[in-house]
Amino acid sequence: MMDELELLKKDWQKKEAELPKLSFDQIYQMIWKKSSSVVKWIFIISLIEFIVPQLIYLIPAAREGLDTYEKLGLKNAMLVISIVPYAIALYFIYQFYQRYKEISVLDNAKNLMHKILKTRRTVKHYIIWSLSMFFITFIAMAIGIYFSEDFVSILNLEKLTEEMSVERLRLVVVGVLILLGLVVTVVVGAIYFLLYGLLLRKLGRNYKELKRLEV
Amino acid sequence: MNKELEHKFVSELESNQNIVHKVCSLYTNDRDSHNDLFQEITIQLWKAYPKFRGDSKFSTWMYRVALNTAITLYRKSKKRIRTQDYDSVIYKIKANEYDHTEEHQLKLMYNAVKQLGDIDKALVFLYLEDKDYTEISETLGISEVNARVKMNRIKNKLRTILNP
Repeated sequence: MMDELELLKKDWQKKEAELPKLSFDQIYQMIWKKSSSVVKWIFIISLIEFIVPQLIYLIPAAREGLDTYEKLGLKNAMLVISIVPYAIALYFIYQFYQRYKEISVLDNAKNLMHKILKTRRTVKHYIIWSLSMFFITFIAMAIGIYFSEDFVSILNLEKLTEEMSVERLRLVVVGVLILLGLVVTVVVGAIYFLLYGLLLRKLGRNYKELKRLEV
Repeated sequence: MNKELEHKFVSELESNQNIVHKVCSLYTNDRDSHNDLFQEITIQLWKAYPKFRGDSKFSTWMYRVALNTAITLYRKSKKRIRTQDYDSVIYKIKANEYDHTEEHQLKLMYNAVKQLGDIDKALVFLYLEDKDYTEISETLGISEVNARVKMNRIKNKLRTILNP
């Protein structure tokens, strides 16, 4: 085998004559093309993930929601739940930027992969945190309704009381809220992990192989 | 970016483009993907060029960027052509029947190398390019001892692929 690899080495060097040759102009064109590297994709996807949850608060329905919270006696809790995320999102964005800056194609392969995975982990933690907050919001609403005196008029559900008792309606609304929160959280989470899983599958596999060597 | 820098970079890459083509030929199976990877490596080289201080040779520096792009940054384009798999199967059958000429042995070897994983390919590539274990270990970020161990394992793996 040793000899065969040596044989291959000799041939490999001879093979150079068969390689394609690009002209100066062809290469010059290439340097202006857009990169499609995983790092660029991570950057784009992460930006979207940082921005989208913030946008939700700008939707009129969400602001109206704040009035509803007030009536349910949850205003202060909801205010804290709404302001703290900005501070925490800023912290995550800062962390993300710091780690993103550290990624350099001039690093050795193992370090490069490690830094990309570290950057990705920052976003992962942010997503887990965002989704938990989202879910907690639903639970808080459910609890608010459970203890509220007049949730029927606050939520404009008068029509429904004709069909069922107030207590029954209360349980239905609480149940629907919890279920909805659970489903949306799981679906958004699944989309996120699938997206990154596909994007970084190759990288993860190669990194594991390099890591395994060191054990 | 000023014109002078662009010009210097492109002409250096033009005269060293063989290195990039060799990486592309190892990591891709068809012409489209070859060109696609070549372009991505060129972009990465160009982005990193301002950091290239000339304390090492341009070609030495290229190995690292080209391999990092192929192993880590590059995402294969969706249209993957399967002809390579088919070819290697045919070679395998033929090998058991006849023909032990040098040329045929080489063909078999190239196909065996193409079946290796990304990291293994990188080691073989640097070995074929006559790099020593110090440079191999520094490029991949593993210790020299581990690079040697890994290389021996690859040789065994190639032997199994060649003599199933």
